[in-house]
Amino acid sequence: MNARNKKIRIGALATFFVAMLLGTLSMPAFGQNPRLDIKNLEALSKKASEVVDVNLDGSLLKLASKFMTDEDDREALGIIKNLKGVYVKSFTFEKPGDYSPADVEAIRSQLQAPAWSRIVSARSKHDGENAEIYLMTAADGGSVLGMAIICAEPTELTVVNIVGPVDIDKLSQLEGKMGIPRLGEQTDEPRQKPEGHRAKP
Amino acid sequence: MNPWEESLREALRRKDVPPGFTNRVLARIRELPVREKRPWFRFRAFIARPALRWAAAVLCLAIAGSVAYREQQQRQRQQGELARMQVKQALHIASVKLNAARKMVREVNRGTAQSRL
Repeated sequence: MNARNKKIRIGALATFFVAMLLGTLSMPAFGQNPRLDIKNLEALSKKASEVVDVNLDGSLLKLASKFMTDEDDREALGIIKNLKGVYVKSFTFEKPGDYSPADVEAIRSQLQAPAWSRIVSARSKHDGENAEIYLMTAADGGSVLGMAIICAEPTELTVVNIVGPVDIDKLSQLEGKMGIPRLGEQTDEPRQKPEGHRAKP
Repeated sequence: MNPWEESLREALRRKDVPPGFTNRVLARIRELPVREKRPWFRFRAFIARPALRWAAAVLCLAIAGSVAYREQQQRQRQQGELARMQVKQALHIASVKLNAARKMVREVNRGTAQSRL
């Protein structure tokens, strides 16, 4: 009788540990969080001439979606529908060198495999532009859990963190809508950088 | 004791109330004109009623609640509009940067960047 009880106990323990293991594995991308810690960039606000700081958690996104009733808002509404957070920090500086590579590295260090995978990385040695796009996918590799964009230019630094299942194609198509023109349509604008400055990766 | 003191003592001596004094005083009071008939006293009597006091209290609470609700609605509307603008701004930046990165990659793939160097 004792031996049978022991077997049952061992079986229960084994089941418990297997369940714990499965639970851990099924957690979003092995426990890493799709929300990045970008608080270290707040110190750059003092040096920047222009700052865009957007912090929208799930509740604010829900609140915003209630007020997005215009025809122009329909596509944006479709994108944020299932999102859990949108966080943007964008800084424009007067001169190059106002932010350090360490500021960017602090963000980049959070975007490690296997949770995060870099899907786009473009670097221009000539004008110092650097653009990276990272995606966090579920452990099964199916759904997107989060996205991060880091755009570092000599006088501009932008970090975008989207938490939740984001449709990249829809997001990409959003430019030129919502009353905002595409960058390519602003060819005569003084802010537009010359094409010749693009360089090899 | 001089006569003056004697007369004072006599004047201050306690006397019993004559029979029927109380009834006569009450009768005189009843004959006086009723002050409560004036409008102010009538109004005071009206608002002194407990039911009316309760009704006033309920009305005050309803008005205060309504004002607070409207203020809260207005605050929520302002927060919602602000959040809406922030969503649009954030998505715009994300979209622009996403496309800029894609454009850089496309240029690199075409080899234009390398040839320009």
